[in-house]
Amino acid sequence: MQKKLTVLFLLILVAFIGLSVRLYAINRDNGEEYKKQVLSQQEYDSVTLPAKRGEIVDRNGTKIAVSQKVYNIVIDSKTLNGNEGKYLEPTLDALYDTPVDFLYSRDELRNFITSNPTSQYRIVAKKQEYDAISPLMEKIDDKVTYPDIKGVWLENTYQRTYPYGSLACDVIGFVQGDNEGAYGLEEYYNSTLNGTDGREYGYLNDDENLERTIKAPDNGRTLVTSIDVNIQSIVEKHILAFNEEHQDEYREGAGSRNTGVIIMNPNTGEILAMASYPVFDLNDPRNTSGLDIEVSEEYTTRGDIDIDITDEQGGDETDESVSGNSVTAPAGTGQEEGEEGEEDEESKPEGPKTYEEAYEDAKMEALNGLWKNFCVSSTYEPGSTYKPFTMAAGLEEGILKGNEYFNCSGVKEVGDHKIHCNNRFGHGELSFSGALEQSCNVAFMDMGAMIGKSTFMKYNKLYNFGLKTNIDLTGEAVTNTLVFDVNTMVPTDLAISSFGQGFNVTMIQMAAGFCSLINGGYYYQPHIVTKILNDDGATVSNIEPRVLKQTISTETSDKMVELCNNVVSEGTGRSARPAGYRIGGKTGTAEKYPRKSGNYVVSFMGFAPADDPQIVIYTVIDTPNVASQPHASYATALTRDILTEVLPYMHVFMTEELSEEEKAELDEAALGFARSSNNTLSENAVVSANAIEKPEEPEEESVIVFEEDAVKPEIKTDPETGYPIDPTTGELLDPNTGQPVDPTVSDLE
Amino acid sequence: MSEPARRRKQNKDKAFFDYTMLFIVLFLLCFGLVMLYSVSSYESSLNFGDSSYYLRKQAQSTLVGLVLMFVVMMIDYHIWRRFAIPAYVVSVILVLLVLTPLGYEVNGAKRWLNIGVSVQPAEAAKVGMIIFFSSHICRIGKNVQTLKGVVKTLLLGVPISVLVLEVTENLSSAIIIFGIIFMMVFVSTPNYKEYFLLAAGLFTVAAIFVILVQKGVLTSEQSYRFGRIEAWLNPEAFSGTTGFQTLQALYAIGSGEVFGKGLGQSMQKLGFVPEAQNDMVFSIICEELGLFGAFMVLLMFMLLIWRFLVVANNAEDMFGALIVVGVMAHISLQVILNVAVVTNTIPNTGITLPFISYGGSAVVFLLIEIGLVFSVSRRIRLRNPGN
Repeated sequence: MQKKLTVLFLLILVAFIGLSVRLYAINRDNGEEYKKQVLSQQEYDSVTLPAKRGEIVDRNGTKIAVSQKVYNIVIDSKTLNGNEGKYLEPTLDALYDTPVDFLYSRDELRNFITSNPTSQYRIVAKKQEYDAISPLMEKIDDKVTYPDIKGVWLENTYQRTYPYGSLACDVIGFVQGDNEGAYGLEEYYNSTLNGTDGREYGYLNDDENLERTIKAPDNGRTLVTSIDVNIQSIVEKHILAFNEEHQDEYREGAGSRNTGVIIMNPNTGEILAMASYPVFDLNDPRNTSGLDIEVSEEYTTRGDIDIDITDEQGGDETDESVSGNSVTAPAGTGQEEGEEGEEDEESKPEGPKTYEEAYEDAKMEALNGLWKNFCVSSTYEPGSTYKPFTMAAGLEEGILKGNEYFNCSGVKEVGDHKIHCNNRFGHGELSFSGALEQSCNVAFMDMGAMIGKSTFMKYNKLYNFGLKTNIDLTGEAVTNTLVFDVNTMVPTDLAISSFGQGFNVTMIQMAAGFCSLINGGYYYQPHIVTKILNDDGATVSNIEPRVLKQTISTETSDKMVELCNNVVSEGTGRSARPAGYRIGGKTGTAEKYPRKSGNYVVSFMGFAPADDPQIVIYTVIDTPNVASQPHASYATALTRDILTEVLPYMHVFMTEELSEEEKAELDEAALGFARSSNNTLSENAVVSANAIEKPEEPEEESVIVFEEDAVKPEIKTDPETGYPIDPTTGELLDPNTGQPVDPTVSDLE
Repeated sequence: MSEPARRRKQNKDKAFFDYTMLFIVLFLLCFGLVMLYSVSSYESSLNFGDSSYYLRKQAQSTLVGLVLMFVVMMIDYHIWRRFAIPAYVVSVILVLLVLTPLGYEVNGAKRWLNIGVSVQPAEAAKVGMIIFFSSHICRIGKNVQTLKGVVKTLLLGVPISVLVLEVTENLSSAIIIFGIIFMMVFVSTPNYKEYFLLAAGLFTVAAIFVILVQKGVLTSEQSYRFGRIEAWLNPEAFSGTTGFQTLQALYAIGSGEVFGKGLGQSMQKLGFVPEAQNDMVFSIICEELGLFGAFMVLLMFMLLIWRFLVVANNAEDMFGALIVVGVMAHISLQVILNVAVVTNTIPNTGITLPFISYGGSAVVFLLIEIGLVFSVSRRIRLRNPGN
């Protein structure tokens, strides 16, 4: 037995030695390979730790745009399929007990997991709030009670939300895709708002040990804006009320093609409110339900490709000859450009689109129009609101003394044109102040002629027209080609420029320039962001008011304040005055291209209070939806409604006595306000809107009428854009530069 | 043999106690706990939020085991001869109890009994069989040396092996139980031919299965065991499924080099080698302590087996010697099979490494067996007292 025992022992020993040899062989033959394998299957992959996008707050710290931490639920099929599928059902139970919207049904997910056993990353629910997923989170962490929940993890990310929905939508902009700001502050300050993402990653240290390191994310900065949410909502409420009141009134559609209001502080350049109409919900910017998507006729059904789209072009041309308005295109330049223009024809006809494509294009165009900030991106002829600028230039240069008298017979002949005043019968004799009060075109053409084109254009540039204001918003229109060039300017151009026609401006240019007229002559760069804070709320940078230049002297500025006050107390701006306050301002009614089509931009530029301007308000209504448009009273009434609420909010005291009528009106408004305080914003707005008086006496102002031009009778204009058509090439020309333009680019649309 | 002699010289009246074996056992237990902590801390903190979860459970079982070892050591092992038949019967009953509600499943295998404490009947059966067959072989005496006796004795081991295989679906325990009986019978008979023929026969059967699997006649669809053979033949081809554990263990072994990455420095234990604290603990030893560490562990087992050899050779009687042979067979088989599986020398089957792998029942019953060996060693009568 001992012998056998020894044999057994030896056999065991042999086995041990054999296994030792095997161990050695594995190391010798495959050691290097396996070592690499071990290193290669470590997780070096880095996980992005998303940075939180900074907030946007108003001047009082009210949050307008916030980023909320949300969670994606991610499943790892590989793990879930492990252990002979034992984890699958318990994990699915836990998932579908969680009250969130899954991208897949339970059966779909089960199918996915079993048919994709190697998938390790599949998002099954997106952007869920903490409250919704916290039960699931607890179950995943509780390994003892729920040992079979495996292969589920939560990935955190941030969701941009706008607590006020559509409020200040054009100013704020929105975020699309991967934290890319689109439009407004979100785009302009995109890199400031976006922090730097952190990372968690693994690496091998000197000893070939894997280490994992976390580099914490650097959260984005918070923008403190000069916007006041309360003023902004008052403004938007009244804009909406106006547009709802005139909805479908004259033609089908909104109450105006666009309505823009800017309220800013003339002493700092800070924007308190900036709004336009229509608005969109920042939380759902792609919602097209409120949009009229007009699909152009230029599409074809599939297969029917050879549609001749040039027909329409021809048709346009013949239509044009009827309207035949003279234009401001400088003679000569148009002809020169015409010769080169022919090549461009070729690029025009694109392949015919299918209806779907045409619809998509139209939808995108409509959305882009909706997202665009009318106040900075759209250009138009300012009309009579430019008159104070002309006057200030004359006063500053000493060309105008302020004691001149003008005689208006209703028409003035400049060059080959007879240019009518808004009052066709003439204003008769007008004082200097009266010329502004009555907004007399003839008087201003006289002034323009006295100032001369070079001085006029010098001031035009000094007021920053043709230049960008560099407001901190994206999409500011470039207007350098939309103003006259002093070298090619003809007397007619000067004449119509003096009352604000013939060249294009943006609202923000007008408002910023006007601020300098009434604040002592200081041109402040308009801006919205006043402070940038870091994640902890500490100030990173302060954006102080920036004086760019002095446009006019303080004396001239004081004189302008007085003159503008007269416009409201004596002249055309009376209806802009809110009860109990004295304000100054200037109305404007600019005829749009094509002339004589009855489309106008009506506006009011005002400031309050009259003797110590604290705010400047600029209201522009583009093509009000009414039978007879040329009435600045639409703009003045809107301005008055806004100021009636904004001034008390800003603690500006009433200085004027209230008439019985005004008292009753204010009481009614207050009552209406109280009555509907539980209702929605729009209902509120309607109540206030009903208080708007219908304009009794429509003031015909700024209606300019050009006589047929004998020299260039064949020049026609395009009815859609108002641009002249070159008679030799058939191309559209820019009225200001004479350059051929792309007909699709329109200023006001 | 020299050692007891030396001891006798120094302490003539003192009873023999095998301190060498005690030291080896305690060393293996402590080493096992250290390795267990190193291997399991990552997974246990992941699963239980407590890095020492496995360590604490194992330490408790080890303490219980040590107490039981001491108790068994103090009892005269001859008593167990009377319990030979009950040992067999109890073993069978315990295995069958798995089918009752007392049995429960862990990781998809129904191998455990919950009788106040959780017990793996297969482990109990190993002790039971060692006692039963020691007693049985002594009882039939010289008859065991006939071919008929050998066959009869081996056939007695078949029912319990089949039960363990079929009821608890535990092939490795069945192999070990049968292996223990086989070795005990082998040692107690003088001839070789039959055993080598039997071994050759078993080997041939196994080879046929392997060839059939290789040819694709038998596939994993028929039995998961064939799948394991497939994975054994070509672990890379099944790296995502059945071959994953084996391949990862090989990576661990191969990346260890001579002295390893250092204790606690394994990368493979971080979720790559599944259940590393159980069957695959040896691969992590290779990775952390290198070939040197692995050889040292094997050397310790070899020393322990050598101590068994010494005790068995000097045992007071045949019964005691056979008990020690049984324990020796048990531990050596388990070490050999475990290392063979880890090195992919044989197909994967769940065998734990004695004293080191995680498993409460295993360590308790192992220590009871060690207690039996000590009990035998304590009664060694020293020959040649005058020398």
